[in-house]
Amino acid sequence: MIQYNTVNGEAMTNESLENVILELRRGVIVLAVLSCLGEEQYGYSLINDLKEHGLEIDQGTLYPLLRRLESQGLLQSNWRIEADRPRRYYILSDEGRALLPRLKEEWTGIVSMMKKML
Amino acid sequence: MSTNLIDTYVSEVGRRLPRKTRTDIEAEIRSILQDMLDERSQKTGKPVDEEMTLEVLKSYGDPEKVAATYQGERYLIGPRLYPIFMMVLRIVLLVTGILAAIGLGVAAYQTTLTPLNAFETIIKAIANFGASIMTVLGNIVLIFAILEWALFRAGGKVEVKGLPKEKEWDPRSLSKVSSPNQVKMGETILEIVGCFAAIVVFNFYPQIIGFTPNLNSVVESGSWASITFFPLLSEAFFIYVPFLTIVWVLTIILDIVLLRMGHWNTVARINSIGLKVVGILIAAIMLSGPSLVAVTTETLTASLGDAGAAQILIKLLFQFVHLVLWLSIILGSLDVIRIIYRQFVNKETPFVVPEKK
Repeated sequence: MIQYNTVNGEAMTNESLENVILELRRGVIVLAVLSCLGEEQYGYSLINDLKEHGLEIDQGTLYPLLRRLESQGLLQSNWRIEADRPRRYYILSDEGRALLPRLKEEWTGIVSMMKKML
Repeated sequence: MSTNLIDTYVSEVGRRLPRKTRTDIEAEIRSILQDMLDERSQKTGKPVDEEMTLEVLKSYGDPEKVAATYQGERYLIGPRLYPIFMMVLRIVLLVTGILAAIGLGVAAYQTTLTPLNAFETIIKAIANFGASIMTVLGNIVLIFAILEWALFRAGGKVEVKGLPKEKEWDPRSLSKVSSPNQVKMGETILEIVGCFAAIVVFNFYPQIIGFTPNLNSVVESGSWASITFFPLLSEAFFIYVPFLTIVWVLTIILDIVLLRMGHWNTVARINSIGLKVVGILIAAIMLSGPSLVAVTTETLTASLGDAGAAQILIKLLFQFVHLVLWLSIILGSLDVIRIIYRQFVNKETPFVVPEKK
């Protein structure tokens, strides 16, 4: 009986831990994506680029996010035909470019604050 | 074959997307899938085949889930309106229940009750109750869904730029919305219940509006069956019911918006005045139009057996209906004056701290 409870409790803890980690990662995705799009990239190359930097993002999260950032005016995109097929390239818009240094500054602030706290 | 699979997959995602963005998203997914296939083919040194396509599609995910990621969260009735929706639903279901019970009472009262038809009456009442619950639920959900849609359209900016920029809440606004701008909760809920009851009664249970002139015959004969029940309202009255229903429905919508806002503003006041004026006009037209009372001196004389008493009763009835209409015109006009007064004259009422006794 006790063992059952412990197992259950552990499962719960793991689940909560995963949820918190997911939330933490979700917070940095926008900044990570924006910082990778100083030069234009198409969706799949961006996902690989982020993976190489150590950030694995689910495709179902990244592609809709790119569209949302574009509709918010932070990115712009254009279709280009390469190797006989169309690819959509994304790049920072002027607004996004102006915003990025401020976001980086904010991020540095958060990191140093958290370092002091932890 | 693999192209066919991709086509099918992409169109499966596409048909779950809004028409406006469908083609664009479909093209993007197709392009990404081809990138994935290319990479896989290079890594394994094999040409793209059906098996590889199936693997890639499996890793991309269920079309339904993929489509959902592009849509964001959508609500028929969102979290902002949900508490008020539940409150209105509870009140209205309670009122419908009470009305159904009254309807059952009247039905029992109008028929000779034997065990067989008592059972039939109850079954019919339950069926009617079920039908009116469905209508009521449908109408309330519809009203709230329209409100949700309107709110979504009006407040589309909430979603943008990372953190939602909500209007800063100032605790001092609490004192500003004290009388006369504050919406009176009890009064407003009462109005919602009243309008709703009127909608249900006049549209679904018009037969319960009537009267019986000879109730004491029950005591004499000991049977409910001896009662003659006269429906009070004529066909002429029911011509106005759709118009009145529109006014009542709009009044309910306005009341819900007011409950949600918590205070009156100019737009709400203009709408309220508009509704009241329409209500007054309908009452005035009803007053000048054909008779709203279905009972005539002849039918009543036949039932009572006394022409004099029937005449007096009919006169009283007509006067009663006129009185109700005049009252609604006068009270409606007073309401309009009160609303205008509060908007223009009493705008800057200071917050008064009650004196200590």
